Amino acid sequence: MALAHHGLAVFDRTTPITLIGTVTEFHFTNPHCIIDFDVKAGNGRLQKWQGELTSPLHLKGWTATSLEAGNQVKITGYRAKSGAYYVWITRLVSSNGKEIRTNGDNLIPETP
Amino acid sequence: MRAAICGYSVAANQDHVIRITKALLPIILLLTRVAGQSPAPEEGIPVTDPLVIAKCGPCHAKDDRGNLERISWMRTTPEGWQEALRKTVLDGRLTIAPAEARAVVKSLSGSHGLAPEEAQPVAYYAERRIQEEGIDDDNPLTSCTKCHPAARPLSWRRSPKEWEQFVETHAKEYKFDLNPRTITALSKTTSLHTPEWTGWSARTARPDLSGRWLVTAHLHGGGKYTGELQVERGSAPDEFSTRIKLKSTKNGFEVVRTGQTVIFGGYQWRGRSRGVNPPNSPEDASNEARESLWFSPDLTRAEGRWFWGQYQEFGFNVELRRPSTGATLLAIDSQSLKIGSKSNAIRLIGDNFAAQVSPADLSFGPGVTVRRIVSGNATEIVVEVDVAANATPRKNDVSLHGSVLKGRLAIYDRVDYLKVTPESSLAAFGNANYQRGFGIFEAIGFQRGPDGKAHTADDLDLGPIDATWSMEVFYAVDSSGNDKIGKVSTAGLFTPAADNPGVNYDIWVIATAVKEFSKDARPLVGKGYVVVTVPEYTFNGRRYIRDLDRWIEEGTW
Repeated sequence: MALAHHGLAVFDRTTPITLIGTVTEFHFTNPHCIIDFDVKAGNGRLQKWQGELTSPLHLKGWTATSLEAGNQVKITGYRAKSGAYYVWITRLVSSNGKEIRTNGDNLIPETP
Repeated sequence: MRAAICGYSVAANQDHVIRITKALLPIILLLTRVAGQSPAPEEGIPVTDPLVIAKCGPCHAKDDRGNLERISWMRTTPEGWQEALRKTVLDGRLTIAPAEARAVVKSLSGSHGLAPEEAQPVAYYAERRIQEEGIDDDNPLTSCTKCHPAARPLSWRRSPKEWEQFVETHAKEYKFDLNPRTITALSKTTSLHTPEWTGWSARTARPDLSGRWLVTAHLHGGGKYTGELQVERGSAPDEFSTRIKLKSTKNGFEVVRTGQTVIFGGYQWRGRSRGVNPPNSPEDASNEARESLWFSPDLTRAEGRWFWGQYQEFGFNVELRRPSTGATLLAIDSQSLKIGSKSNAIRLIGDNFAAQVSPADLSFGPGVTVRRIVSGNATEIVVEVDVAANATPRKNDVSLHGSVLKGRLAIYDRVDYLKVTPESSLAAFGNANYQRGFGIFEAIGFQRGPDGKAHTADDLDLGPIDATWSMEVFYAVDSSGNDKIGKVSTAGLFTPAADNPGVNYDIWVIATAVKEFSKDARPLVGKGYVVVTVPEYTFNGRRYIRDLDRWIEEGTW
């Protein structure tokens, strides 16, 4: 569904990145969920990132409160080619126990 | 684009969405649990209208019971019959004059329509709302929602054999994999004969909707309105002319609209109206609108939407009720009061208020005391109220002489978060052939409910919050290119750029509260997701255009 309105071409799929940050907001909404999270850069400054997940319809067992402000997250994915603080999430591990992994070609989570 | 069209986020009115979702939920749950069963033969519903028999009978053979082949084994809404007739005409299988077509749709909507209880859960489809349907991949309707909302098949009732024939033909024509679970599920949950239809179809009285109606309305992005509607009989028993006068509860702005309506099946209002003054802007309340209302089986009240725009993004949520012999409360101008606040002025708007009203005649629920009556007349009362310092956050009823507005006043002690509505939506670039599709947004304040979590069902809706508006484009490093995509006005109207860039853009429409702050003293912020889409595109050498709720290949129906 996310592919239907924008493809993967906006993301750099040659170089996955991994980020560790703190959730500031979780948007549990169509067409795809978005996680706002802060990442402390090497110089100590906070970077405001957004990570893209799949639609709520594909996140079995998730709700609007599955991620909350303050959760620590480790996110792996593909960064936007534009250089914006934006990532297509291929793996997420949260301090509250939530975990998700996709195959990288789409946003559909793999069944654990 | 499947879920982007079908699964977008909520309608403008939170209560309406909750009611519709609850009504659809049993159908959706049952569809996920149904096991495979063979369809059984079923009695048809005879067709008796001579025009329908004359126009449809040449192809739909009539049996000795008065049934017309296929037609007698299906029921649907006016929109369903209109689409079926249109397809028949476009496929070259029928020639029919426009007046005859209208008469056929009107007739079948009555004799082979839906009962009010059947129509209400899917009324959002005729009302052109952006609606969250929650059809996940386990649901048998997934194959349907690849192309259109689930409301479309759920607006039909057919015999099992007819569902089987329809789905098989549909799958072949539109080239999708046939899921036998779909046929079984639809046969069980949207069957031809139901107790509701048996009860409704036995009633033969024509509706007399003429006279005076009291109106409450909410214009998304424009606030609450109240007023009255005059309905006059037209040239046919089920046709009426209308005149409505609405007044904003916020600023007293008035709009007068006139129009025409047809009542299908005894309770389904389908009309068109426009303001007596020309509109000044895309969101102006005087714009010409289509109207869809559902009347209760006793015909004393109605609810629905009057809408306009490229994808019907603008509209009033409308409620009608008959005047009563006593007082009728229609609205209050405040949606929330803060705990511990004093001398709050509240306006109550309604009809037939008594000449003398005392504080004892009014109730604003636990924790709220009427300090004094400031002024009053037959349609408006102004009062001052205090909210106790130890009041409990909750939704209170407001009542006057037995007329009650349930849950209309939120008592709160803080605003915890903002929600932008709609939470996710579409807008559209225009071009020489297609007009632009706008986005109109509101910022709604919420307090966390007893569970302490945000974005859960027990949260307290505090109504619109004053906010400033901005936008942010996904994947953009900075905002320097925003104008090429569009602008958000101070009133929360998103206008796509005049030049179509030829690609979709994802954006946030952002509301920043003017007077509400988080615990770390930062203004509260809410975001709405918008896909700004192209009006037409080419894929594999074929051109597709957006037609209401779906993409269709150009040149096809």
